[in-house]
Amino acid sequence: MPKSLSGTEQPRRPRRRTNASSKRAPAANPGAPPEAGDSPIAAEATPSDVATISQPIEPATATTEIVRELPARPRKAVRIRKYKPPAAPRFRICIIDSGWNAVARRALRHNFSLIRRLHKEELLYLLSRKKSAEFIRRHRSLIGRDPIIAVHDLEAIREHGTTGFHGFHLHLGIMRAPRQALIALQNFVQFVATHRHSENLEAEIRAELRREGIIGAVEILFHKAPRALGG
Amino acid sequence: MLDRLGEAVSVVLGALAIAYLVYEIDRRKRRLRDLFHVLDGTEADISADLLNMVESGELKPFFRETPA
Repeated sequence: MPKSLSGTEQPRRPRRRTNASSKRAPAANPGAPPEAGDSPIAAEATPSDVATISQPIEPATATTEIVRELPARPRKAVRIRKYKPPAAPRFRICIIDSGWNAVARRALRHNFSLIRRLHKEELLYLLSRKKSAEFIRRHRSLIGRDPIIAVHDLEAIREHGTTGFHGFHLHLGIMRAPRQALIALQNFVQFVATHRHSENLEAEIRAELRREGIIGAVEILFHKAPRALGG
Repeated sequence: MLDRLGEAVSVVLGALAIAYLVYEIDRRKRRLRDLFHVLDGTEADISADLLNMVESGELKPFFRETPA
């Protein structure tokens, strides 16, 4: 079976064949990456290639070098989806990341598309590095805590603005280990997904934190390895 | 004499163990509350700033154009 051609490799030199009459399939691999289809591919003689043969063929002992230019594979037309805002978002999620913490930043970036897919119903805002730095400069208590995922409860904000409870921040930047950052991110995604219809979000967040705290205390008592979140 | 010294050492060690437990539980609690930070009136200015950025159009909802 012929090896696949990758886009980075040089096209192979055509093989010299002593038996010109034998026929094989072209070397193009249907499973190869799309770049391979765009580069010239070495192929062997077929009756239709007579016009492109560079040397005259001698019937029995001919040594032919044939290069056939395959037409570039027509690219699929990319249809652009128009942005449709979610019908009834419960949360507004803003991601603030000035680029401090490499570990948390990596965890967030690697899983961003998945987070986006899991929270299609929510409004997501992504601050650029520059805007994030500006924002953090205005609110200095946030320095060193980014990447921050700010979740605003739109229902609470509609009711009483930002004076009372109106959401929560996930300060991923305080996580130092990749595993901790990933678990915190997963917990966050799960929490937002499972509590989007909650009537009293504040009470549920506080109950969840209490539960985590009790579990952490039990773990300390039994000398278990600290959990990622509280540890 | 030795009995009393032993008792005193046990009491001190017990107190240290309890103090460590309290400290560790408190540390984890603070860390957890720092990680999942509940927003209330004290962070009103931070949230209001973000809301203003959204309402003024400075921030647009994230949407990646994807092939259909």
